[in-house]
Amino acid sequence: MNASLMTLELCVIALGTMLLLADFWVPAERKKFLAYAAIAALGGLLAISFNGGGICNPGSAFNGSFVNDALAIFFKRFFLLAAILVLFIAAEFSTRLAEAVSEYYSLILFALAGMLFAASSNDFAMLFVSIELITITFYVLVSFQRGKINSLEAGVKYLILGALSSAFMIFGIALIWGTTGELRFDKLAEFLARTPQLASSQIFLLGVLLVLVGLGFKIAAFPFQIWAPDVYQGAPTPTTAFLAIGSKAAGFVLLLRVLFTAVPAVAHQWTNLLIVISGITILYGNLCALPQRNLKRLLGYSSISHAGYLLLGVAALSANGQAAVLYYLAGYLFTVLAAFAVIAIVLKNVENEDISSLAGLNQRSPLLAATMTIAMVSLAGIPPLAGFFGKFLLLKAVIEQDATHPGYYCLAFTALAGVIISLYYYFGVIRVIYWSREPADVVAIELSSPAKGFIWVCLAGIFWLGLFPNTVLNFANEAAAALGK
Amino acid sequence: MHVGLHHYLFVSFMLFSLGLLGVIMRRNLLVIYMSLELMLNAANLALVAFSRFNNKLDGQVLVFFIITVAAAEVAVGLALIVALYRKRQSAHVEDLTSMKL
Repeated sequence: MNASLMTLELCVIALGTMLLLADFWVPAERKKFLAYAAIAALGGLLAISFNGGGICNPGSAFNGSFVNDALAIFFKRFFLLAAILVLFIAAEFSTRLAEAVSEYYSLILFALAGMLFAASSNDFAMLFVSIELITITFYVLVSFQRGKINSLEAGVKYLILGALSSAFMIFGIALIWGTTGELRFDKLAEFLARTPQLASSQIFLLGVLLVLVGLGFKIAAFPFQIWAPDVYQGAPTPTTAFLAIGSKAAGFVLLLRVLFTAVPAVAHQWTNLLIVISGITILYGNLCALPQRNLKRLLGYSSISHAGYLLLGVAALSANGQAAVLYYLAGYLFTVLAAFAVIAIVLKNVENEDISSLAGLNQRSPLLAATMTIAMVSLAGIPPLAGFFGKFLLLKAVIEQDATHPGYYCLAFTALAGVIISLYYYFGVIRVIYWSREPADVVAIELSSPAKGFIWVCLAGIFWLGLFPNTVLNFANEAAAALGK
Repeated sequence: MHVGLHHYLFVSFMLFSLGLLGVIMRRNLLVIYMSLELMLNAANLALVAFSRFNNKLDGQVLVFFIITVAAAEVAVGLALIVALYRKRQSAHVEDLTSMKL
């Protein structure tokens, strides 16, 4: 047993607790700067993780239920980066969170700790506890603007559906454990290889299905997506951003681990199911996004469709597909956070986040207008941006597999159709920014220097991943290789 | 009558289905929340029964984690429902309609 492997998680929890304590001594007008302190600390941890300083050593702890393999390390860096960028948005947003702003920052850190544990979990008990740490923290984060009815309503909806999905998941875990006697993913795979008749046992398969239901809820895949639009719309913008990237990525890392480390035989048996869910999720997200007028709700539906695109890589059942999922998530991180940052900054004084409130943005702040445009273009998947290369890799992984199953062609075609549908609503947003006829408020937007830095980081990330994919792709390939062992 | 694993599992499935039915059919948030707890306890019962009849302790340890997590969930959940009630003067799901299209 080697508890020092958890140093990173312990540091993040300690940081969250310190922020809560610091709240007592920091005067109200300076509380915004607590976010910058947290960003600096997380940035330090991220830098150390790249320097090979002990916080990301490979190995396993707690009887194998906590592993630090290449996949875990990839996702830990990913989550640290996501939390850093979300804290920037939260600092911009802090004026609207009343006095409890330091609690908000520390809750973001606790959710981050849950995500870091999720990245390392190799055991169903660990999976359940880390998912719950993320979800319960998000109940509070979603309903943080207690004075706003939308925020509370979103919180209650997330609470009921989140609790329902965790009930399904824990019942599934009970059935899996009851039929196999194993909670650890790799032990379960060994057991499954020893007793092939288990793969046709109804109770065991029901258990796996229920666990996948719980994870499908986290990633907002069809038919467990109903919560996403309402929660995305009602939650405070930084929370929505963290939900869109952090919570979804945590769902995907666990989905990959469960499907490909714990029950690979079942994953191959259920190819059809994965293909159908991926296709329907893409179409549902894109078609429902078409009539939306609320920006955050639009991005909620768009995030459902992106869950569908990511499922392409899972349904491909190949190492290339898994690497493509990781790459796509990295591109999605910069893109979606850039979009939410613009929403948080521009819509400061607007009560409803209607798309029309972006009108005339190119006169108010050319930088923000360009950022939103690039984010939308990257989400739509136009070269040379990150979103394009990610979608290219996912489709390539799916088409490579066409010899094994005829459904893959249909799936690739559905994904392309989804991309074409999505062009309509993404360009609708761009049209409002540049060619709006409505009389717009043309007060120039002053950007604070951290906000400027944040936006340049996101833009650099979007272009870097689109033009020079090799570095991240190598990391992703290495990480995906850890799954199949 | 000898009570075996099947009996426990049957009760556990019944509890789970009743909970699910409650979540789907009932219209009061608090009752829905109670039904959700019922579903979690169905899983607990299944785990303890499996643990007892397979002579392995992992399941019982997992039950402690579930109880702890459920307590945290209830603490946050009830606070949210009370906050919503103060704002809306109602705990019915039909009134949760401020966001559409």
